[in-house]
Amino acid sequence: MSCLKKKSVLIPIDFSEPSYEAIAIAKEYVEDISSLKLIHVLAPLHPADPAAMWDTLNNEDRQQKVQEFLHSKLDELGYKGVEIKVTIGKPGTEIIDYAKEIDADLIVLPSHGRKAMSHFLLGSVAERVVRLSHCPVLVLK
Amino acid sequence: MKQKSFRLQNKSWLAALFLILIPTAALAQAEADSGKLAGPLETIFQQIIDILNLLLYSKIGGENGMPLIVLWLIVGALFFTLRMKFINIRGFKHAIDVVRGKYDDPEDEGDVSHFQALAAALSGTVGIGNIAGVAIAIRLGGPGAAFWMTVAGFLGMSSKFAECTLGQKYRIIKPDGTVGGGPMYYLSRGLSSIGMGGLGKGLAIIYAAFCAIATLGAGNMFQANQAYAAVSNALPFFSNLSWLFGIILVLVVGLVILGGIERIGAVAGILVPVMAVVYTIACVWVMLVKFTSIPGAIGTIVSSAFNPQAIAGGLLGAIVIGFQRAVFSNEAGIGSAAIAHSAARTDEPVREGIVALLEPFIDTMFICNMTAIVIVLTGVYADPASAELDGAKLSAASFETIISWFPYVIAIAGFLFAVSTMITWSYYGQLAWAYIFGDATINIYKVIFLVCGFIGTVINLDLVLEFSDISLLAMSLPNLLGCFLLSGVIARELNSYMTRLNSGEMLANVAETREPVLK
Repeated sequence: MSCLKKKSVLIPIDFSEPSYEAIAIAKEYVEDISSLKLIHVLAPLHPADPAAMWDTLNNEDRQQKVQEFLHSKLDELGYKGVEIKVTIGKPGTEIIDYAKEIDADLIVLPSHGRKAMSHFLLGSVAERVVRLSHCPVLVLK
Repeated sequence: MKQKSFRLQNKSWLAALFLILIPTAALAQAEADSGKLAGPLETIFQQIIDILNLLLYSKIGGENGMPLIVLWLIVGALFFTLRMKFINIRGFKHAIDVVRGKYDDPEDEGDVSHFQALAAALSGTVGIGNIAGVAIAIRLGGPGAAFWMTVAGFLGMSSKFAECTLGQKYRIIKPDGTVGGGPMYYLSRGLSSIGMGGLGKGLAIIYAAFCAIATLGAGNMFQANQAYAAVSNALPFFSNLSWLFGIILVLVVGLVILGGIERIGAVAGILVPVMAVVYTIACVWVMLVKFTSIPGAIGTIVSSAFNPQAIAGGLLGAIVIGFQRAVFSNEAGIGSAAIAHSAARTDEPVREGIVALLEPFIDTMFICNMTAIVIVLTGVYADPASAELDGAKLSAASFETIISWFPYVIAIAGFLFAVSTMITWSYYGQLAWAYIFGDATINIYKVIFLVCGFIGTVINLDLVLEFSDISLLAMSLPNLLGCFLLSGVIARELNSYMTRLNSGEMLANVAETREPVLK
């Protein structure tokens, strides 16, 4: 069986419950938890955000804070030791680029993220990832 | 590798921006002379305005009565002034102490200092409205409208205090350290904390919808329109080239908000305070030159406030115009500034609310009044020969009588004020849009924003003003309703804060927490 197991599975996290639940499902496809990779994509700060205007919060700080937040959150959920990547840009593009970079075998993500306004449509991030990914994508209902 | 792909992405957006602009420019060039372009656009806007007018501007007391929405704002400002026991007066000195940094604690959560938050909020409020809006008020409501603007600014300090206190109290700190705050948050989270979750969610969505629309008018089209008026007034080269100016303005703003070129925003951020200082000095200069006429001018403003003869609607008309233009300028009761103020580094919501009450003071009671006094002192507004001058052009003409080259300064200041206000409002509008549609589609909104900025420069002031007024004031409906419902919470917070402040324990606390940092 183990030859069917994936070596590298990517799970995009947007801090929503469904995205954390995706970790449990992704775990079934790997032998060891270290094969799971997480990515969170931050939006660039708007130039008029007071923090950007006064340069009190730079991108490295933001990435560092998300790393710390996600590490403690994952410890709490029982996924200690999962690798986390935090990037800044457009979610769809960043996820696809990172999947290529780590040569992912599978991407697991919920159909809708935090703003689940339209349940009849596939979320725009999920749609983009399905369309442009180099590897299979598991979209969770 | 990552860096590269990110940069490419930026470039693709720049390309998209140009693609939007090129056909617009071609269209404009082909049709501007015959006036065909402005025609259909104006018809569309007129229809939107008519519907909104019907809903919000129904007047109490006949043709020259009080529009419902203006009454709502006046009642709101009066209510918070009385409910918070004249916080606009008793909080003033403390506000200055806080802005000076006396109570700053680096250990508190938040992104920027009290001073920085105030400056960020002011970049959205101090705009071309401070030059043009006053002139519009005087043109419509006579010199007395300036008096009622001051009254509105004074009472508005209390509504501003209320909304910014709530903005701080119900903000959230996101995992990346950025702050989410403002009316959407206090309407949904605040009202749910007092058992009105359903209403709160509904109001938050209505607020976000109004905010996304109003951004396009007051924070964008009005700015673009009056920046063009100021520039074409000084540089006749542009007088038949509104489309060219529109493209330049939209390109500059687009490079910042779509292209991510923050340098331009930073440069505008430095130049705007410089222009504000230059503008203030010029006002003082005009006052010094006309020193002996100042008592007369103030007399004219005050006496015509209570006895306006030439204005339709008389006293009530002057009050309505004064309040409308003041709120348009200082945004008290509109809720937008609470977004910027919620980023302040503090664990005392009331403290930032008190800082925020300086905003209507600086914007309306100080800067707008200076413009008003200059306009009245020079008397240009009353000269029949310049009866067609309105907005930024009237202000420029007034300064010109004393300082011949000042229209050039107004042109530069107007352009910079418009750019910085547009950038700040695009931020408010983007947050509102994202609240409804999510982050993934914000670029669609940015493009709509830029297209509207272009439209604002080519269509006439009356239409832009009508649309901007009504959509901005509409934001006060959900916002003030939420603030009324939460006024008990604000009053409790304020009482507790004042008790602790007066006992002197606050400064002691700051000294205590600061000590380890100094070591």
